[in-house]
Amino acid sequence: MAFYPKILQRVSRSLTTINNYRLLSSSSSDYSVLFHHTNSATPPCPSFLDNNNNNNQSGVCSRDFCSGSSNFDQLNSQGPAPIDYSALLQEDEFHKLADATIHDLLEKIEEYGDSVDIDGFDIDYGNQVLTVKFGNLGTYVLNKQTPNRQIWMSSPVSGPSRFDWDRTAEAWIYRRTKAKLLDTLENEIKQLCGDPIKLS
Amino acid sequence: MLRQATKTMLGFRSSNTGSTAVPIRVLPRFYHERVVDHYNNPRNVGAFDKNDPTVGTGLVGAPACGDVMKLQIKVDEQTGKITDACFKTFGCGSAIASSSVATEWVKGKQMEEVITIKNTEIAKHLSLPPVKLHCSMLAEDAIKAAVKDYEAKRGKSVASTTNNPAAEA
Repeated sequence: MAFYPKILQRVSRSLTTINNYRLLSSSSSDYSVLFHHTNSATPPCPSFLDNNNNNNQSGVCSRDFCSGSSNFDQLNSQGPAPIDYSALLQEDEFHKLADATIHDLLEKIEEYGDSVDIDGFDIDYGNQVLTVKFGNLGTYVLNKQTPNRQIWMSSPVSGPSRFDWDRTAEAWIYRRTKAKLLDTLENEIKQLCGDPIKLS
Repeated sequence: MLRQATKTMLGFRSSNTGSTAVPIRVLPRFYHERVVDHYNNPRNVGAFDKNDPTVGTGLVGAPACGDVMKLQIKVDEQTGKITDACFKTFGCGSAIASSSVATEWVKGKQMEEVITIKNTEIAKHLSLPPVKLHCSMLAEDAIKAAVKDYEAKRGKSVASTTNNPAAEA
């Protein structure tokens, strides 16, 4: 029973963060790219919390962020482990690095799409979410996950992965596989489309 | 660019419903019917007693990131088979459906078998779009965490009984 009050605290803390975050985001029509499945009336979902006060807010929460995350796959794939907060990036540093990486990818992949003939190629960057469609070959989605200081990627080749910034390697690394974001994308895009791409 | 996506989605939608294509001015994305089914007819929602030695609890995710899943398994000590499972999830429809599917799939299986359940299978079963693949990964993590918790509990209780052999007699 002592379980729940802690969760309530965390949720109310995170809700404040989420509300602040919402104020910063723009309200362009590209909002729909990130927020799929949004209905104007959000039905109450089986809430993790029994407290009814949080039901409406949890509806808001599930609209703001579209996919789950795990604080626990930070260190190794062996399951939940405590987070070393001292090693986490400061938020503004994270934003600078992540934005730079994603913008860089946007430019390079756009160029790649222009030069290589891929049927149904489309690239879109809206609300800080990068969506790349390689026609029937599959769709990539890359976005920042600020609370975790991660870049999340969804790949038609390797599925979902979450990259943390490694200061020593100066790269975004997926801790479970030790793979680097840029290397992974280079290999996968070459595998998918046939032509090599240079991203680093 | 978005118009192209909208056209594709509308085309897809009309063929899916089988009715005449009516221009729909809503967001072009929608849940797969299996996800809606898990949402409308929730299976295995609930909780077991955390302190029960036959129960393993997996808690993954973080509210700040949008999803938290709690998946619990009840294990038969003799056979190592999972006799029952339940879940509670805070998050989007895909997260709820992923964890619901996870509880359905673990029931009646051995623990060694369920840790081989992959997020790709869950995602395929629910036809999750690319942006929701992370939900299926979380469900896979929840299963593994529940199994790990049960093993840890068993390990602890085994250690305590070996420390008190006199109690057995």
